[in-house]
Amino acid sequence: MNTRLDDLPTSMPTSNRPQNKGASLNDDASRLDGVAKVTGQAKYGRDQFLPNGLFVGFVRCPYGAAELESHDEKAALAVPGVVELEITGKEGKYHGHTVGYLVAESMQALARGLRALSAKWKKGEIKTRITDEKLETPEPNDKSKELLAGADHVLEAEYSTEVQTHSSFETHGAVVDHKGDSAICYASTQGTFATTDGLGEAIGLPRSKYEVVCEYVGGGFGSKLNGAGKEGVTAAKVGAKHKGPVYCFCSREEDHLDTGNRPSGLARVKIAFKNDGAILGGLIRSWGGVGVSRGGGGMAVPSGRYDLGEIQREHSDVQFNAGAPRPFRAPGHPQGAFVEELMLDEVATKAGVDPLQLRLRIDKNDDRREMMALGAKLIGWDQRKKTGSQTTVLRRGFGMGTASWGGGAAKTECEVVINRDGSVEARTGTQDIGTGQRSSMGIIASTVLGVPLKMVTVRIGHSTLPIGPGSGGSVTTPSTAPVMTVAAEDARKQLLAAVANLNSADPSEFDIKDGQVLRAGKPLMGFKEACAKLAADQIVGRGKTEQAERGQGHSHGVQFVDVTVDTETGVVRVSRVIAYQSCGKVITRKMAESQIIGGVIQGISYALFEERVLDRNVGAMVNANLEMYKILGPGDMPHIEPVLWTKGQTGYRSLGEPPTVPTSGAIACAVYNAIGVPVRSLPITPNKVLAALEGAKS
Amino acid sequence: MPISDKSVPTPQGGVTRRLFIKTLGTTAAATSIAAAGEAAANSIADAQRPDDPVRGPGPIPVTLRINGQERSLKIEPATTLLDALRQNLNLTGSKDICDRGSCGGCSVLVDGKLTVSCMMLATDAEGAEITTIEGLSKNGKLDPIQESFIRHDALQCGYCTPGLVVASRALLNANPKPNLEQIKRGLCGNICRCGTYTNIFNAVLDASGQSPIMDVTPDQSAPKG
Repeated sequence: MNTRLDDLPTSMPTSNRPQNKGASLNDDASRLDGVAKVTGQAKYGRDQFLPNGLFVGFVRCPYGAAELESHDEKAALAVPGVVELEITGKEGKYHGHTVGYLVAESMQALARGLRALSAKWKKGEIKTRITDEKLETPEPNDKSKELLAGADHVLEAEYSTEVQTHSSFETHGAVVDHKGDSAICYASTQGTFATTDGLGEAIGLPRSKYEVVCEYVGGGFGSKLNGAGKEGVTAAKVGAKHKGPVYCFCSREEDHLDTGNRPSGLARVKIAFKNDGAILGGLIRSWGGVGVSRGGGGMAVPSGRYDLGEIQREHSDVQFNAGAPRPFRAPGHPQGAFVEELMLDEVATKAGVDPLQLRLRIDKNDDRREMMALGAKLIGWDQRKKTGSQTTVLRRGFGMGTASWGGGAAKTECEVVINRDGSVEARTGTQDIGTGQRSSMGIIASTVLGVPLKMVTVRIGHSTLPIGPGSGGSVTTPSTAPVMTVAAEDARKQLLAAVANLNSADPSEFDIKDGQVLRAGKPLMGFKEACAKLAADQIVGRGKTEQAERGQGHSHGVQFVDVTVDTETGVVRVSRVIAYQSCGKVITRKMAESQIIGGVIQGISYALFEERVLDRNVGAMVNANLEMYKILGPGDMPHIEPVLWTKGQTGYRSLGEPPTVPTSGAIACAVYNAIGVPVRSLPITPNKVLAALEGAKS
Repeated sequence: MPISDKSVPTPQGGVTRRLFIKTLGTTAAATSIAAAGEAAANSIADAQRPDDPVRGPGPIPVTLRINGQERSLKIEPATTLLDALRQNLNLTGSKDICDRGSCGGCSVLVDGKLTVSCMMLATDAEGAEITTIEGLSKNGKLDPIQESFIRHDALQCGYCTPGLVVASRALLNANPKPNLEQIKRGLCGNICRCGTYTNIFNAVLDASGQSPIMDVTPDQSAPKG
């Protein structure tokens, strides 16, 4: 491979999705790491096989609860290539819980060593799900009682969701290349700087002596926000001891078991409403299934997007013998939206009101209501039949859902460097987990400076670069984009001042556009030529969070789905999705569309397929792989149209999480519309659809 | 006991019953459906020479022809082609995602046929022409499907991308103008977690001279500004 950096295709117009033409700062920009990724040249942490490296594998509890009774340390250490065994505990509290680790010179020796260890376990008592706990539904308080008593109708229902694992394609882990007095950690992380902090003690070096590198990260979706993690810390510890490279990455199975998940949820609702569908309020009691974690099982219902009257809300988390949750793309929100949207459709249907009309009445946001009206036309809402009116084998259903997302911003510093040879560097330490962060930074620098994107090299994913945020809460772009703007403006100002100085003129006479320096609007010289005349080697423009103007307000989304349900097999197929989304100013059209499409696809996958299945007798996960833990594949794909909402948008706001919020609820509504009976449990698998149909008959 | 089956040729012109059975078993287990057949049979037959009847259990010398180059390495006989590529030859473009043939992340071409390299032993690939993601672009130029992937942003985190690029190339080799249904079927051995399928379909359509799927017109979708 000898595609040089100069050949990077950075402007690649397409004719598709004309609805989003002109929506962004740079519609035609392609991903700056596109070439590296499509040619296999991009090196992820998991790809770092360094000469003479050691490999670490964890000893893990194979059951929901078990005590390590015995193990053959001698036999494990006698395996050629095995160098070290550490048993750090005896108590396994969930399948995949680590009780020690083994170090070997190759992956094969590691596997043989773990087998030779012949660990014997004594199984303990277990619980594996929320309903293993006795759940007390509280009595309505006085206000709720009054609402329920005075209502025309009351909807009483129970909704549930299952555990979804992140299944990032690059598993969790790190490679620590320890050289004795310095080290490099190649991490798969959503937080370059959190990982740097987390390695501290284990790596045995002052922070000035080691660096964290994560140029490419194979997905994270929230599960890689935990700093160095046990994989990184263990690799650092072993590296510090053996003074060499140490590779510690989870297998696919380990990744399912012990690197987080979206927790399961259960909600019982009692909702009072009037004949016209107006919701008065009521009671929502929910439980989150958090495994061995102490919390993190919240369900975002009510979402606050709709006027639901006065809601009495209670929630608690239930513990059992399974791996703990970690933040997963809009934690708590898809679960909450599923409950809320299906509940709304049930209310609307009982009241004989069109669910779209009900939402138009009770949605609190103008943008969303406008999206609803337009989206309804695009999906063909007028073809929607009355819920329960279809009697054919194949039944078509329409559903909708909404999202809103408020974002914060985290401490960020950026630099834009202009070198004397005319090359430009945009620098910030934060990582790109697939969102297009690298490209966004380049586009901002190029747009503000007035030079083609091709001239900008972006440096990210490195702890020696200016500090940047972790990729959580969809704050990366809202945090970095305004600061990169400040840095690029600073660099531009300095360059124009230098040019003005050379011409003994006022800087306000000069401008940069399309790589040309202009004087009084007329081309004066090329950007490179101007840089060559710089007195200093380089100009460094700097930006900090405090100087930047942050995007205000929320991002909003509305999605419509068109599904077909086969009432003989119970199979649900999504055929079309229309996804409206606002996110403030859009930086790059293509990558913004990709975020929306990706969010929708994960939402469909969550709605129809994904479920961590635990064996209720021994507490082991029985589908810790990628064929029985099913995620959506090419054959399951509907047509998805993302629409970027640009009306009235200012500032840079969140885009990563909101598009995955409405989808599962919209699908549940569409299935209800098709078959006339609600499936109140995710994933909506064929057996649940058939059971619901059977239940409706009797 | 020699049996005559001309579909399983060996350098000696014959084949043992044991080898024949082994070949059948390995063929079924080791290669993707698309690649099942002669290629694997040939490579196994080549690997089994009378002067080298038993290989292993320790590291053995293996020569692989990868992206037009002979590469010699010493590996344990049980090493998969994927592990040999990644761990021994530092060709890490092929990704290990599921490690059991269900994700397509490690897709390579073995004698032109789409193969998941995690399900094939490296020794079984001896004698075959192996093309990995690193070998798709030639003379510093991207394969048209690679360029199309970039144009349509058919990638996000990029970890499944090499496998999907190889699978798309194999699809286009077999069917230069696939329709949408054929694309979905052709790529159904691969999965992606970020959710890039829509753009992958567009990339394959574009690379085969067809228009992307569109069903929304700009004027009706959203107000501008």
